[in-house]
Amino acid sequence: MLRTFLLVSSVSLGALLAQPPQAQQATDFKGVVRKNLVPVSNEVLRVKFPKPVESKLKNGMTLLVLEDHRSPTFQVSIRMPASSLNDPAELEGIGSATSALLRLGTKTRTSLQIADTLQELGASLNASIGERYAAISFSALSENLDPLLALVEDVMFNPSFPQDELDKWKNRQISQLQQSRAQPGFLGQERLFAVLYPGDVRSRIAPTPESIGKITRDLVVDYYNRNFRPAGGIVAVSGDVSPKEIAAKLDKVLGEWKGSAPKPPELPIPGPIAEKKIFLIDRPNSVQTTLYISNLAFDRSSPDYIPAEVANQILGSGPASRLFRNIREDKGYTYGIGSFFSASHYTNIFVVSTSVRTEVTGPALEEIFKELVNIREQVVPADELEGARRALVASFALSTENAAAGLSNALTIKDYGFPADYWDTYPEKISKVTAEDVQRIAKKYIPVDNAQIVAVGDASKLRTVLAKFGPVEEYDSDGHKK
Amino acid sequence: MILFNSRLSLTLLAGLATLAFAQSSNAPAKAKPIAPIKFSDTRLDNGLRVILVEDHYAPVYSIAVSYAVGSKDERPGRTGFAHLFEHMMFKGSENVGAGEHFFLIFNYGGNMNGTTNTDRTVYYEELPKNQLDMGLFLESDRMRSLAITKENLENQRQAVKEERRLGLDNQPYGYSNDRLNELTYDNFAYHHSVIGSMQDLDAASVEDVQAFFRTYYAPNNAALAIVGDIDSKETLAKVQKYFGSIPRQEAPKPVDLTEPPMTGERREAMEDKLARLAQVSINYRIPSAASADGPALSALSSILGGGETSRLYQKLVKEKEVCSGINAFSSERLGPGAIRITCTVRQGKTLQEAEGLISEEISRIIAAPVTDQELARVKASARRSAVAVRTSSLSRAISLANDASVYNDPNRLNTEPEKLMAVSAADVQRVARTYLRSENRVLLETTPAAKPAASPKPQVP
Repeated sequence: MLRTFLLVSSVSLGALLAQPPQAQQATDFKGVVRKNLVPVSNEVLRVKFPKPVESKLKNGMTLLVLEDHRSPTFQVSIRMPASSLNDPAELEGIGSATSALLRLGTKTRTSLQIADTLQELGASLNASIGERYAAISFSALSENLDPLLALVEDVMFNPSFPQDELDKWKNRQISQLQQSRAQPGFLGQERLFAVLYPGDVRSRIAPTPESIGKITRDLVVDYYNRNFRPAGGIVAVSGDVSPKEIAAKLDKVLGEWKGSAPKPPELPIPGPIAEKKIFLIDRPNSVQTTLYISNLAFDRSSPDYIPAEVANQILGSGPASRLFRNIREDKGYTYGIGSFFSASHYTNIFVVSTSVRTEVTGPALEEIFKELVNIREQVVPADELEGARRALVASFALSTENAAAGLSNALTIKDYGFPADYWDTYPEKISKVTAEDVQRIAKKYIPVDNAQIVAVGDASKLRTVLAKFGPVEEYDSDGHKK
Repeated sequence: MILFNSRLSLTLLAGLATLAFAQSSNAPAKAKPIAPIKFSDTRLDNGLRVILVEDHYAPVYSIAVSYAVGSKDERPGRTGFAHLFEHMMFKGSENVGAGEHFFLIFNYGGNMNGTTNTDRTVYYEELPKNQLDMGLFLESDRMRSLAITKENLENQRQAVKEERRLGLDNQPYGYSNDRLNELTYDNFAYHHSVIGSMQDLDAASVEDVQAFFRTYYAPNNAALAIVGDIDSKETLAKVQKYFGSIPRQEAPKPVDLTEPPMTGERREAMEDKLARLAQVSINYRIPSAASADGPALSALSSILGGGETSRLYQKLVKEKEVCSGINAFSSERLGPGAIRITCTVRQGKTLQEAEGLISEEISRIIAAPVTDQELARVKASARRSAVAVRTSSLSRAISLANDASVYNDPNRLNTEPEKLMAVSAADVQRVARTYLRSENRVLLETTPAAKPAASPKPQVP
């Protein structure tokens, strides 16, 4: 599913951004009337995140602990290198099946006993597998750390993967897939990823009834044993715990447990698709058109990441951005609109996303494209640039309320091999982004002539309108080409 | 809601005091006592209630202003108006330009939103602590001097209609919730939806906005809560400076929320053009969340349908595989509420099977008391939710302002969890007997209108 990139960053900010306000020029902030009478502080707060304590567990895993004693709860995530991108197409969903089944039975506990115990401990427990990690995550009231660890140990090392639980899980999945097909967002994203990464594992966002049908208990057992392995992994802990105590307790649970999973695959980071195209998904009786305007951009390691954050802040991040002010506040075509870059090891996309009433689909697309052209062709005014840079850095103060943000920053550094001071220098990097940088990024990544447009709505009312924007390819709501 | 991506859910179970915790066989440790959330509670001369909490953990503060006005205060022909009005609160006031409110908040690193329900309308901002004056100025200026123009009303009418389409007209089961509430409540106050009808939204005029503002957006009809890295004394002085001179208005007449008792079960069936699976939704009428039965009803709905361990989930989803999902919850309302049960029926199963099994579980929970274990589990979950509120200044600010304006009791944040901890199995059985009667039940069946285009994919057994 689409991930917006979240800004959670540690900052030790100098006076860098506390520059005197720029001379006011007559920038047209469409959709907003600025009276400039509200008292504001131009100081950008210097905020600091606590850094987690790092150590090694006996089995070689890295332990990161961030203490936070404000509330008597804790969270633990055991992250093991593995990748769902290794899963074969015909077995799509096996990672979800394995993750779900893990908490549905052990040699001595039924699924109901596990669920009852979790609730009695005020706890939650989940397993998952994604692009780079398999994870077992759990949390509880801190007074229940010991009984929860006992349960986690049983789940991890004595899972029974009951056949009847698997059969029932498959039935539920198939019903849930049917429900997803009633959602315009699902239909749009299914097509979007198929368009952006054709013939590639990244093109699939959900299993099919056929792939779910092929999942057997033997395959699940094998999948768990191969992919949930500790070598090179990280255990991340935050909350009402002491680093020493939790290390000893985790050592007791994990012991000498060893082994590694198959390596995550090497996948290309493809460049933008060259030809403009429109993909219309017919959802009869829709009263809105759900739109995605997209193309491929850059992955998380790119030096373009930071200037692109500033460019996107101006274009489509939040209600102060151009897209929101124009399409919603000025035109009233939509309830919400936004754009984002999604950049990880494997995803490299730019997307504008909105839903508009069917009748204004054409005018809305015209206005969106006006904004995309504008940020590519016009130099961004100084005061607008300043506002965007300040917004990005000033919002760090808000994320310091959540201790887990510091932990998440530390994990990003480890995940991408960034230098240890990555977040310390981040505000400075944002503050140095220039108007020329923004324009360069926009020209490079914000699609106009090569836009990939996905539209979900009532095709009978949209065909002619959309044809004005480029060649249209039509699909039904089961995902089949018409 | 003024914006789409609200960062938090508003169904917060807030803070709590020292709790006795039932020990169960699975040996959870003895619950640590938790200090209550302390706040100051002041009334300005103009009637504005001001609640302050100091928390210096992070350089952040949150402000929430809750006005005691919601869709219950609307009149026939103007459904959806309280929410449309919420949107107008961002279109400028004497010293703030249209849209400048969120332009400033987001450009200075903050976060904000507004949200309307049946009982109240709440506005909130979360900001770095050096922007205290900004937040207070923005909230006070619009309370004092909302600028209302025809052009701005027209523009927000469109945004609200899109909000309705997004959340309702273009969604599977979009109309089911509204229809179920129409069937449940006879009194207009809760009979109609918060979002309103397209026709009524079209009918709203500038004069309506002006009259609504005068009547309901007065300091004496509002509660203001500020939580975070503030100095209480200095902050109260600033609140006095910004809000103190806003004139008090005549208090609005309280709306009669009472419902004539139901005399028999109400049932209806409807078709849905966007759904792919059938759904049954059931309301049992219950009294106000502030009633003495509130905590026992909350425990009852959790044991029935709150998550994986609940009776309905175990029976209908796991054992019989009739539903792909099921849940039950009790509403938080000033006036009469409901225990709502919703089940989406798997393909190949029938609404009748689902309804029959739900009825069996209802009969069972009436016939015999719930177990101590079931009750202990509900209390542990509630305790977990209650402590979570402490790490967010915004959650606390919204809860305090909400509870002060709707229930005239900001301390519910501390006392409600305590009351839940005191609920007994006998209490649960008593409220089950009282409210889960068939003549108190409203049932709505929703079925897909027509089969979507035939799928060539085979069904997997």
